[in-house]
Amino acid sequence: MNRYLYDGTADGLLSAIAWILEEEPDPEQVALAERQDTLFEDGFFLATDAIQAEDLFFRLRQQAPDAAHTLYSFMLAEKEGMESSLLHYIALAFIHGDKVNGYLTHPAVRDIVAVAKKAGRELHRMKGLLRFEKLRDGAYFAKMEPDHNIIHPLAYHFRSRLRAQHWFLYDLRRRTAARWNQGTLQFGTIEQFTAPALSDDEKKVQALWQTFFKTIAIPDRKNPRLQKSNMPMKYWKYLTEKQGE
Amino acid sequence: MLKKLQILSGAARYDASCSSSGSKREGPASGIGNTSNSGICHSWADDGRCISLLKLLLSNDCQYDCAYCVNRSSNVVERASFTAREVVDLTLDFYRRNYIEGLFLSSAVMGSPDQTMERMVRVAETLRTEEQFGGYIHLKIIPGSSSELVRKAGLYADRISVNIELPSQASLERLAPQKHKEAILAPMALIGREIASSLVERKTSRHAPRFAPAGQSTQMIIGASPENDFQILRLSQGLYKKMQLKRVYYSAYMPVSDDNRLPVLAAPPLLREHRLYQADWLLRFYGFSAEEILSDDAPNLDESFDPKSAWALRHPEFFPVEINRADYGTLLRVPGIGVTSAKRIIAARRFSAITPEGMKKIGVVMKRAKYFITCSGRSFEKNDRPAALLRQQLLLGESPAPARSTQLVIPGIFS
Ligand code: SF4
Repeated sequence: MNRYLYDGTADGLLSAIAWILEEEPDPEQVALAERQDTLFEDGFFLATDAIQAEDLFFRLRQQAPDAAHTLYSFMLAEKEGMESSLLHYIALAFIHGDKVNGYLTHPAVRDIVAVAKKAGRELHRMKGLLRFEKLRDGAYFAKMEPDHNIIHPLAYHFRSRLRAQHWFLYDLRRRTAARWNQGTLQFGTIEQFTAPALSDDEKKVQALWQTFFKTIAIPDRKNPRLQKSNMPMKYWKYLTEKQGE
Repeated sequence: MLKKLQILSGAARYDASCSSSGSKREGPASGIGNTSNSGICHSWADDGRCISLLKLLLSNDCQYDCAYCVNRSSNVVERASFTAREVVDLTLDFYRRNYIEGLFLSSAVMGSPDQTMERMVRVAETLRTEEQFGGYIHLKIIPGSSSELVRKAGLYADRISVNIELPSQASLERLAPQKHKEAILAPMALIGREIASSLVERKTSRHAPRFAPAGQSTQMIIGASPENDFQILRLSQGLYKKMQLKRVYYSAYMPVSDDNRLPVLAAPPLLREHRLYQADWLLRFYGFSAEEILSDDAPNLDESFDPKSAWALRHPEFFPVEINRADYGTLLRVPGIGVTSAKRIIAARRFSAITPEGMKKIGVVMKRAKYFITCSGRSFEKNDRPAALLRQQLLLGESPAPARSTQLVIPGIFS
């Protein structure tokens, strides 16, 4: 079994996979892993080629759009140690097209699809659970600490939804931020974070929402277990309706 | 404002519909908001239900006196009404902070039906035209309002609905004397026609106005009147087929008054509501007809079995079903196989025959399915069990159904 190494970046991973699919007759028999800086590692190192990486994604999107979507979601998870599975999955996707996602009896397909699903689920959840607060200068600001690195797709979602307002997203876990202002979306990092001042009516609107949240529940049907399973407690920290309960 | 919100969202809380899906709208370039096809939940309330819309009554100050309703004029409750502007601002403030997908506005009859409907339409109109709001709007049509206002409502809202309220005209006359069957069915039919013609027009011109793009739904109250489940399901079937409704919602009657026209219930019939929803799914997604699910001899849904298992038990000749050969429609009829797992089975068997192991991975509920299937000719259980024994086996094996049935708490136990 041939063993290959790459540099640990997303581009490196995809370009390594592209190279292996090109050169290896049976990718199922190939292993791929991130290079660790030890002297004793065996395997061929494949250099990163961003153009190859992009080309691979592009071809996959043409031949198997669902699989490309799965790959995208999988990358959001920043999972380590699943490179070989990803390689096998992509190899299968080029053979079977989008039908590959139905091939759940194959361990690589099952693992990749499961990770991608989880990332996709958090992204979908966050589209609902993200809370903006209005700042003194009229901009809106939202904080989050998601398990997956979803700030990009999340920002695109809000770009089309909250077009007419100036807003920021901030991922405290990764210190990354997105900013939408007058038609441009930018991504960056925030190293030094100080909480910005809220606008004067912000607390009033929050109190209205908290009231609505309390009132809309049917009193006789309290069901904290169901509530927590739909809305895990790890997200409560930034939920306006869960403050001061 | 806090107080008003408390009264008017509290009064809207029993409205079952929380779905905000089924409409895809690119918001206006200068405004805010869009709607997405998959629907987004923004929070889950203390009762575990999804919150996606700002659900409000415009007013609870009702001129009518429907026996089953808290807002009936003869009842003593605190009354309040919003102005159109107040609702508009609240919606925008919530939407900009990503609390909600949009607005679900209903109302008691304040003054006259037209007066009420006019103010509701004004809310939607202001949101769409002045504020360029692209989020979701669902308006309830007040029975008896003019067709002009109904048309306008449909142009601004994603979904409009008329509550059918009770499953028969006799019950309507008895419990809601000011509402007439005609006042409910006429707008329904009008909406149905408008939706159909707007779809046709949009085929020829993409700029033709969209009329209630997410369709029409309705709601009826279960357990306040004597109709049986068979009557109810046949009514729903008719609404789906003849009026092209998107959804019928069932709402278990909450005892809110001791009016002697109403039955005395110890608790709202939640299990019945749950079974009706399951049967409704069979109508909409599983290719069943009301007549297959129930009959005049057995006019009510079985409390101990979901309607699909009940059907399967009555039709032993249909089974066992061979997983590796049966078509989609047949797979769907197997208890324990849902829409998702049926699709997965079809997808997975293209690669190789599905093994018993693979069935579980696909998500089939084997505990129930195993009595009804074979896998490449192999059966899991003796399929020729006498029906009575099978019933028992299924009952023992039936795990508590997820989500909805967890609502089956005896009221008061937690409070
Ligand atoms: S018209 Fe509506 S709000 Fe008024 S009493 Fe009847 S059901 Fe209640």
